[in-house]
Amino acid sequence: MDFGKVLLVLKREYLTRVRAKSFILSTILTPIALLGVGALMVWLMTSETDTKKSVGVFDETGVLVERMIELNEERYSNVTAIPIDSVKAMVLREELDAYLLLQEKHIETNENAELIYSGSGGLAFTGSVRSDLREVIQEERLNRANVSNEIKELFERRPGLDSRKLSAEGETEDDKAGFLSALGFVLGLLIFIGLFGYGAILMRSVIEEKTNRIVEVITSSVKPMELLVGKVVGVCLLGFTQFAIWVVMYIGISIAAVPVAGLLMQDQLTELADSQEINQAAQEAGFDPSSLEVLSVDPMIFVYFFLFFILGFFMYAALFAAVGSAVDSEQDTQQFMPILMIPIMLGYFMNTRVMVDPDSSLSVFASIFPLTSPINMITRITVTDVPFWEILASLVALVVTFFGVMWLSAKIYRVGILMYGKKATWGDLLKWVKQG
Amino acid sequence: MSVIKVQNIRKTFGKTHAVDDVSFNVEKGRIFGLLGPNGAGKTTTIRMINHILTPDVGNIYINDVEVGPVTQKMIGYMPEERGLYKKMKVEEQLMYLTQLKGMAAKDARKAIHHWLERFEAADWLKKEISELSKGMSQKIQFIATIAHNPDIYIFDEPFSGLDPINSELLKEVIIELKEMGKTILFSTHRMEQVEQMCDDICLFNNGKAVLEGKLREVKASFGQNTINLEFEGDGAFLDKLTDVRINNRSTNFAEIRVLNGQNMQDILKLAIEHAEIHKFERVEPSLNEIFISTVGEDNIKNQEVQ
Repeated sequence: MDFGKVLLVLKREYLTRVRAKSFILSTILTPIALLGVGALMVWLMTSETDTKKSVGVFDETGVLVERMIELNEERYSNVTAIPIDSVKAMVLREELDAYLLLQEKHIETNENAELIYSGSGGLAFTGSVRSDLREVIQEERLNRANVSNEIKELFERRPGLDSRKLSAEGETEDDKAGFLSALGFVLGLLIFIGLFGYGAILMRSVIEEKTNRIVEVITSSVKPMELLVGKVVGVCLLGFTQFAIWVVMYIGISIAAVPVAGLLMQDQLTELADSQEINQAAQEAGFDPSSLEVLSVDPMIFVYFFLFFILGFFMYAALFAAVGSAVDSEQDTQQFMPILMIPIMLGYFMNTRVMVDPDSSLSVFASIFPLTSPINMITRITVTDVPFWEILASLVALVVTFFGVMWLSAKIYRVGILMYGKKATWGDLLKWVKQG
Repeated sequence: MSVIKVQNIRKTFGKTHAVDDVSFNVEKGRIFGLLGPNGAGKTTTIRMINHILTPDVGNIYINDVEVGPVTQKMIGYMPEERGLYKKMKVEEQLMYLTQLKGMAAKDARKAIHHWLERFEAADWLKKEISELSKGMSQKIQFIATIAHNPDIYIFDEPFSGLDPINSELLKEVIIELKEMGKTILFSTHRMEQVEQMCDDICLFNNGKAVLEGKLREVKASFGQNTINLEFEGDGAFLDKLTDVRINNRSTNFAEIRVLNGQNMQDILKLAIEHAEIHKFERVEPSLNEIFISTVGEDNIKNQEVQ
């Protein structure tokens, strides 16, 4: 291989792509889109469920309804004075969304009360009514048992669970599980986006050379393999450039954001300073000022990130290039896309499982199997302690597969780039491989 | 001295014998024409000379070096399917292609500027190809082919799709290159271009080289067995002629190839009886006629010979 020529190909590939408007736009828009999606998910998960539903409480005991209304004035109303049949009619006429029939037996025995609704109930709605009811009945039961205030207070407290991790040095570290899970998922997601995004860029570039008919001029100077390697590395560097820009953007924003955030927190803390509730509030929110330390990450994770990204990209890039060389236009790629889509999407869907349960045998398999390992191994490494031999096995499998895929793709590529005006079939591809 | 030696090459795609035991030599400083109908194996042969494809059997030598990356630098190649990067600026594009042929950046820039000026295209340096007209980008394509100053130039169907101005320009350039002592090989299925420009020819049909040699000698070997007849009047008498093949017939002209030793005087007598004769000339056969009589009318692969 003539590395001078590879370098020329690489340089052209990199420079024309990095100056393209599409690159500049995607560099700016991708983080914004990711932040947007992230914000949307947080909002969806934390936003209050619809509380506008009205529930009539028909309280035969006479002691529960007041406390229910105290808990949520907008939702609960006292309908004890109205005959039960009329209450049912009101629910049917949708003047009430539901009614709740409370009797002595619900306090004294373990029999469940019933919530009767028309229209749609909704899990979130019935769940929140259930928890309100539990609280009120428990309070009444404690009152009747005539227990002391201390004991009542004991019941009000909810025991929490703090988790700490034991490391080899025998010290306990702050548990970073939550943060690391999120980071692991995001790193896996980034590799997924990278494999797909940059793979597609490479494929388009191969198709472009074919449809422009420049490729015959190029191959009269360069071996197809040199062209292929130059293009793959060029697009890979394009990916690095984009990641580097994002890292710089992230650091820049963080540096700017920390003092601002600190200032805001300071304000809030002083406001709360007099309140006795501060400790409890902080605990309930799960906020501990020292938790910011959690954000520090083992730098080896980033080394592995780049390693798995490069190897994974090279492997998939070879496949994308082979597909590009076999078709005459982007529309024609569809028949070959499943061979690329299925393994990448599998890795992507698996990623959530790997994050939640990194040590299951499925996760171990996904992180060693070379077609999914670029995405899934980095998530595992971030979330849990992966034995070194597994990382090594994963890397070796990836490298071996890369060479196999490259060998196969190069054969297809070499013939495919000179086949103009004709859509190849799977049979053709097989023929080309045999021909080489 | 032979700068290109093609020795017994074969290339098979599946069941098709695209090139079947072909040999020929191209001499230094001459214009060599590769002729034959579409699909005769010309492009496959040219791709093998350019080391884009490798022959299944046989050898090709350029300046006595077996084809490979080294010989690629000695050749300037313009494929039949021409193309450039649409979104790249003219100068960058030419620099890239010329450097890929092994020219140092400094020399490449000088050569590119020289040729752009020669083609009155110096203003286009910073333009993208997509901004240029078809004729303009054809000029850029020539420059991409010749800028690295190779010894050998290979053009595959160079005149197809060219506008008349660029067609003339290319002819000029080819003659100019020949005068500089360069060697040129081009393929075409249009015989009249070969008659005008080539020193040597090689006729292809069905993957085989059926005739090779100096154009003059090839023609002379067929003898003056053809009549160019110009006349005025009813041309119907031509249909009465036997043992002849009439090419290039029009209302007042016919190229008559005499077969089986038919007496030319009899043809003249018949013609005088039916029409007013302006010209009756014994000549060597046209290349087209040579091609037809060599491969036989039935054996011509595509009926595209003109």
